[in-house]
Amino acid sequence: MTNDDYVMVQGEERIRRIQEAAAYIREHLDETPEIAMILGSGLGVLGDEVEGAVKIDYKDIPHFPVSTVAGHAGRLVCGELAGRHVMVMQGRFHYYEGYHMSQVTFPIYVMKELGINNIVITNAAGGLNRHFQAGDLMVITDHINFTGSNPLIGPNPDRYGPRFPDMSRAYDPSLIQLTLEKAELNGIQLQKGVYAGISGPAYMTPSELIMLRELGGDAVGMSTVPEVIAANHCGMKVLAISNITDMAIGEELEPLTHEQVIKMAEQTRPRLLALIKSIIPGVR
Amino acid sequence: MKKQVNEANNWISQQLKESPQIGLVLGSGLGVLAEEIEDQVVIHYRDIPYFPVSTVEGHAGKLVAGTLMGKKVLAMQGRFHFYEGYSMQEVTRPIRVMQELGIKQLIVTNAAGGINTNYRPGDLMLIRDHINMMFQNPLIGPNVDEWGVRFPDMSGAYSEELRQLAKKVADEQKMELREGVYIGVTGPSYETPAEIKMLRKLGADAVGMSTVPEVIVAGHAGMEVLGISCISNMAAGILPQPLSHEEVIETTEKVKNQFISLVKGILKNMKGE
Repeated sequence: MTNDDYVMVQGEERIRRIQEAAAYIREHLDETPEIAMILGSGLGVLGDEVEGAVKIDYKDIPHFPVSTVAGHAGRLVCGELAGRHVMVMQGRFHYYEGYHMSQVTFPIYVMKELGINNIVITNAAGGLNRHFQAGDLMVITDHINFTGSNPLIGPNPDRYGPRFPDMSRAYDPSLIQLTLEKAELNGIQLQKGVYAGISGPAYMTPSELIMLRELGGDAVGMSTVPEVIAANHCGMKVLAISNITDMAIGEELEPLTHEQVIKMAEQTRPRLLALIKSIIPGVR
Repeated sequence: MKKQVNEANNWISQQLKESPQIGLVLGSGLGVLAEEIEDQVVIHYRDIPYFPVSTVEGHAGKLVAGTLMGKKVLAMQGRFHFYEGYSMQEVTRPIRVMQELGIKQLIVTNAAGGINTNYRPGDLMLIRDHINMMFQNPLIGPNVDEWGVRFPDMSGAYSEELRQLAKKVADEQKMELREGVYIGVTGPSYETPAEIKMLRKLGADAVGMSTVPEVIVAGHAGMEVLGISCISNMAAGILPQPLSHEEVIETTEKVKNQFISLVKGILKNMKGE
């Protein structure tokens, strides 16, 4: 990480940086991507299925943050997937890594500059809803921002969106509908629910999990919320799917390790990837 | 960050006669316990390299090492609070120093406001669990793998075994001991009655402005933690009078004998590995 990753770059300078990053990416692409994808831990493999792939390392993109997490490749993969031009982020940025919220969401504005208006996001999450079980997939219908921060704090870059963006339909209803239909068609069981976003990196205590459930959360995780706020700010349509890697019921909580999360994410991966590929052709 | 902790740690190690086994963090008005430590080595925070310095009235600002109930302890008389303006890393630096000194068990104490309406000022409460409402986490930033894992488990942040031990000691001393959930807020303003109502709904029994960051870091460090709150006042909206820091200190004065005898009883029975 560089010092710039910890602080907010504001105003014209921020816009200039976003545009420079977008310009660099555009130079390397023949086609403009239509759909961007931010894939959670272990799901970056979808990038390997992209045809005619152009790969751009984050470290080569001007002003782009660089991932600190082992196993996050840290590159964009652009090309064709299920008949559409996509841009897959292999590796994402988390608030708990120490990045400023404006850096966590930097790629979203770069996508916007590239002309992308649809974004598909996945994550690994703990299940708060007693009707879920580990291994379930959940399409996110809404979120609760419990990260303690907001990526839009600071001077508003009017170029991208309004000072006070609406969040009444942060997760696009037509994309949710499409996802439910495709899941049914493919025989994939799919839950619906509210994602509670926390900062991490510590997992939650039992009391915190009970609290989040009482507040209306169905799943809890350490990503997605900042990106979705920024995507809504700049008018992008969002689809997000959680991979329920563990059950997080406060009253009967067992110790959890990241290794367990990764293991379950791997088991569920084929179903999630199949679902995403079935959705892509229908995204408009 | 690791380098600063190491330097503080080296400096402290040079002053100590023996390696401490158990860490004690003493909250507002509870620092008196440190006076009972035998063969004391006293180290002022201001003398320790890279150690923050406490700014709060009633917080002495020193480490006291020595023997208490036959256990080698290192007590913090005076702690660092987020509301003083310290970073979360500074607030938790002493816990890292304890980790580097080899301390595996930690007793954290604090003064807290009672949210549970069955509580009374002067009650002692064993912390069963906490809720972090500080909207900060001391582990945000690159992970130092030597200290702990990237995503530490918090399912048993407060040791079941040490809680059982504390209950047994309280029984033996015929002392009433509550057990509940501590919710950590930043402060420094006390909560409004509406906020207290909300915190109660969220599952909290007591509220305070410390402990949570220290326990998260202790959990990351793999320490066994025992937390004890002294209910120094009832939180806003429960009783018809306003809150003051003086009231907090006054109540802790009254229960300090009970508190001291409880902690000493617990220390006596701890394995102290």
